[in-house]
Amino acid sequence: MGIGTSMKETTLHYYRDPLVEVLSEDRDVNLRGIVIVGSPDKNEDKYLSAERVGVSLECMRVDGAIFSCNGIGNNHVDFAHAIEETEKRGVPTAVLSQCPAKDFVVQNDHLDGVICYYKALDRMDQPGDETKMLAENTVTETDARKALALLKLKMRKWEEKG
Amino acid sequence: METGTRLTVRAYHISSLEYGEENRVTLDGHMTVCPSVAEKIREKEPLIKDISIRIIRPDEHDQHTNTVMDVIPLSTKVLGKVGEGITHTLTGVYVILTGVDEAGRQVCNFGASDGILRDKIAWGRPGTPLESDLLISFDVVLREGTWADRPGPEAIHRACDVFCQIFREQMKKFNGYKCTEKHVFQETYEPGRKDVVIVKEVSGQGAVYDTRLFGNEPCGYEGGRSVIDMGWMPVVVTPNEFRDGIMHAMD
Repeated sequence: MGIGTSMKETTLHYYRDPLVEVLSEDRDVNLRGIVIVGSPDKNEDKYLSAERVGVSLECMRVDGAIFSCNGIGNNHVDFAHAIEETEKRGVPTAVLSQCPAKDFVVQNDHLDGVICYYKALDRMDQPGDETKMLAENTVTETDARKALALLKLKMRKWEEKG
Repeated sequence: METGTRLTVRAYHISSLEYGEENRVTLDGHMTVCPSVAEKIREKEPLIKDISIRIIRPDEHDQHTNTVMDVIPLSTKVLGKVGEGITHTLTGVYVILTGVDEAGRQVCNFGASDGILRDKIAWGRPGTPLESDLLISFDVVLREGTWADRPGPEAIHRACDVFCQIFREQMKKFNGYKCTEKHVFQETYEPGRKDVVIVKEVSGQGAVYDTRLFGNEPCGYEGGRSVIDMGWMPVVVTPNEFRDGIMHAMD
């Protein structure tokens, strides 16, 4: 698998990314930055880059992170691992994904924050099915707001738990 | 309260787009496109067989399109680097980059969006134009078999960037007081708030499955680096760098 046209975030999407705008405008959080990580081909590279994401966030001492991935299939190997490496280091996550956590090709104990943003379930069989319509299944402002709401909840729960 | 960078984006709305003898954009919202520039751009790209540049108006969506490789806003730096200073950008018009190879293979990873344009774009998404926007189609035919290695798709994006730069150079000279919209983004970090980051996992597995960062111009190709060449290591950018177009999609 990989990335189909309906999952594609275009250059225009990056230019006016709803996730960046929603987090910038919110009065409860400071958006400290955006970590961009490539999804490699080989497993060895996937594990290394995913671990570096976790370490980077630990060093930044942030209170929480929203993860977003537009690909599917093997992309989730490094994606799931990066989430695990981040939460293991004490940073809670909310996660935007093309499919629900149960459909990830790998599993771990840190995928409770996954929100599926697939939008064509009314005519396709399962989340992640390619519709061949440009950007149909990409993150919208509503998806970004859901992820931020979940992250706020999780940050509070983790804080209470100590 | 801590503060970060300050970015001013001045937007200029384009209301008319026509064919003309030169590629030109003017402050009054008028744009002309000269399709013959395609041949000059193609001459420098041995992997490209043909380029055609066309205008697509909102009432012309009932036409065939090759798979959409990218939608690119026309933006340029006037002061400072990407992420700070002043940017000029056009609204109401976007460049639609499409590609196919000589043998008819659509230039995409999988799930090509070739077909009737009207049905092949989810209009009005963050990453797509509105149905009412004006479009400049930059359609490329690659040499047979070259779509599957990185140099093929890279040639397509590079060629399109050369075309975009013609307009960017003119936009740099626009009078700042005559913009249609002005947005100022001042990064602030207030005490008492939770500190959060966004982690974006992006394509990095090869041809038509790549992402570029750090172009010279907002949303540009030239001067950029591929995440593959950077070894897929996480890179941190500021919110203003991101919203000023530090990324160029290559998947």
